[in-house]
Amino acid sequence: MSALTSNLYIAVQGRRNRGLAGIYLLVFLLVALYIFLSPGILSVAGFSKFTQNWFPLALVTLAQALLMLNGGISLAIGPMVSLGAVIAATTMGGALGVPGGIVAAAIAGLALGALMGLVVAYLRLPAIIVTLASSFIIGGIALIVLPRPGGIIPPWFSDLLAGNVPTAFLLLVLVLVAWKIFLMTPTGLGIYAAGDNPVGAYRSGVSVDRVKLMAFALSGLLTALAGLFVAAQTGSGDPVIGTPFTLNSIAGAVLGGVGFLGGKGTMRGAICGSLILSLMINVMFFMGFPPVAQYVAQGLIIVGAVAIPNLVARWRRA
Amino acid sequence: MKLEIGSFLSSRRTLMAGVGMLALAITGFADQAAAAAKCIKGDRKAPYTVGWANIYSVPTWMKQTEGTITAEVEELKKAGLVKDLKITDAQGNAQTQIQQIQSMIDANLDAIIIEAGSSTALNRVIADACAKGIAVVNFDSLVDTDELTAKINTDSNEWGKAAAEWMVKQLNGKGKIIIMNGPAGISVSDDRRKGAQPVLDANKGLQIITETNTEYNVAPAQEAMTNLLFANPEIDGVLSLGGALSAGSIMAFDRQGREQVPITGENARQFLELWKEKKIKGWATMQPNWLGALSVYTAVQALEGKNVPAFVKVPLPVIDDSNIDTFLARADKFPADGYIYSEYDKALFDKLLAQ
Repeated sequence: MSALTSNLYIAVQGRRNRGLAGIYLLVFLLVALYIFLSPGILSVAGFSKFTQNWFPLALVTLAQALLMLNGGISLAIGPMVSLGAVIAATTMGGALGVPGGIVAAAIAGLALGALMGLVVAYLRLPAIIVTLASSFIIGGIALIVLPRPGGIIPPWFSDLLAGNVPTAFLLLVLVLVAWKIFLMTPTGLGIYAAGDNPVGAYRSGVSVDRVKLMAFALSGLLTALAGLFVAAQTGSGDPVIGTPFTLNSIAGAVLGGVGFLGGKGTMRGAICGSLILSLMINVMFFMGFPPVAQYVAQGLIIVGAVAIPNLVARWRRA
Repeated sequence: MKLEIGSFLSSRRTLMAGVGMLALAITGFADQAAAAAKCIKGDRKAPYTVGWANIYSVPTWMKQTEGTITAEVEELKKAGLVKDLKITDAQGNAQTQIQQIQSMIDANLDAIIIEAGSSTALNRVIADACAKGIAVVNFDSLVDTDELTAKINTDSNEWGKAAAEWMVKQLNGKGKIIIMNGPAGISVSDDRRKGAQPVLDANKGLQIITETNTEYNVAPAQEAMTNLLFANPEIDGVLSLGGALSAGSIMAFDRQGREQVPITGENARQFLELWKEKKIKGWATMQPNWLGALSVYTAVQALEGKNVPAFVKVPLPVIDDSNIDTFLARADKFPADGYIYSEYDKALFDKLLAQ
């Protein structure tokens, strides 16, 4: 069996990687350029600081990709990041301490994610509407928990997650390993199957609704934890800090080749997409681009990264 | 006190170095050491490279502010004090701003000027910059850490208080008002509103119909006010806590054919022109764009070894019928949707820094 399955595995992985060649190349070029412009990135502290700034975006891009893979989407990513951040910043300084804060943020993310999933999967409402409405509700809750920036994260915890040590990078590796393991479970496989071909998946015994619910819950968990990390990184909570993450998570996922219609895309692509967005900010600074040019360059790189592989594929076929 | 696991050893080394420095200071550099501003170590020499980490460059107020910064840098270049200015725009994302300030630290700039996207999010990266001996000056939208060279601003609480007091006087302490605020969860808008509260508490005759929260832009403010006009036939005053908001409100009243009511605001050109044109009972103050220029000036002064105050409080002027013409006389020098700021020069800056 092993020969057959391993061949199939390689074939599937190969097909998944094919569309990503352009993205990999772009990541490589940006990293090389960054190292050339600012060699300090290669020091432990430099590497740690860069990966810390990238980490929350990487997490929410994964959270978004997780939903897009089975045909969903979330417009509530940003407010959920804010909520995770304010929960962490209001609980960690109190009686519950750091463990209590982590548990509270995780539960809030899981529960709210599951709730959205419940409405989408079982009431059959479109994810885009449900999550848009939820974004207002969750954003409101964040403002109730902490009406203006404040709260506190114990400094030792901030330094542990976002000091001069590459904790963020290790956590990211851990999350990716967990994702690989999750993909080996029936539910994990079901996420792709339910997005690619829901009817077929249902007939093969995948509980499509349950898979959807699960995807939303996990996505909520990842997002709230990204918020917790932001709180640790900044040492405090801010009820609106997450807002830009909604669009950026979609941009990162799409840039990484995750399709809107489900079943198409990979987590490694999504990770690369978020890495490009993050790298661009630093590279453009060191290149000395004025802000207006930064807007234009950013748009061109994103369009280029998505369009060129498509054009190449079409040209090959022709 | 911060407990840094990673750099525990190195911080002990800094402590030893600190002891050495102390010995030096006692033996003769005491005066100079005491006079230096926060974050400044004295190891950076002119001409300096200055970074401006802006949260969002698109609003007109920001563009005008950037204008005063680049003008100031040109002046300082002529004096041989500055060699380069690097500008970043975080596009409204505080997380991006952290990353950009980190890049400025990595590039070893001498001074960083910050318009903050969050009053708390930048605290740690700012402390990092300060620890590297970089002059960090924060203006307009402030952070709540003190680990920086100087903060420069007007007093937002006082802004709200003065506006509310004027409104009470206009309405003789009685009437129905609408309060217009900037975005929720933003310190500036929150502080202005907080400043108004004690005055409102003391004058129960003023009844607050409702409040709005919008971006500091004309269009959303006009839309919000239009909706409120339908629902409220009787409005005696508009306590607007931002310049563009006031212009939006006046335009909403105008479109509906409603009689204009007393209104507060800022030095937005549009507001001042509408006020004059429609003979409105108005009051305004100013968040000067040249806070940006002053910040660059302050950072360079600090790098040059001068002591600067940790908080530079810039007084809020009052614009009313007695002096509105002096502002409008210079209107054509400013963009149509911009702010007519008062004139400034080095003498004014030196006076503000001598507080």
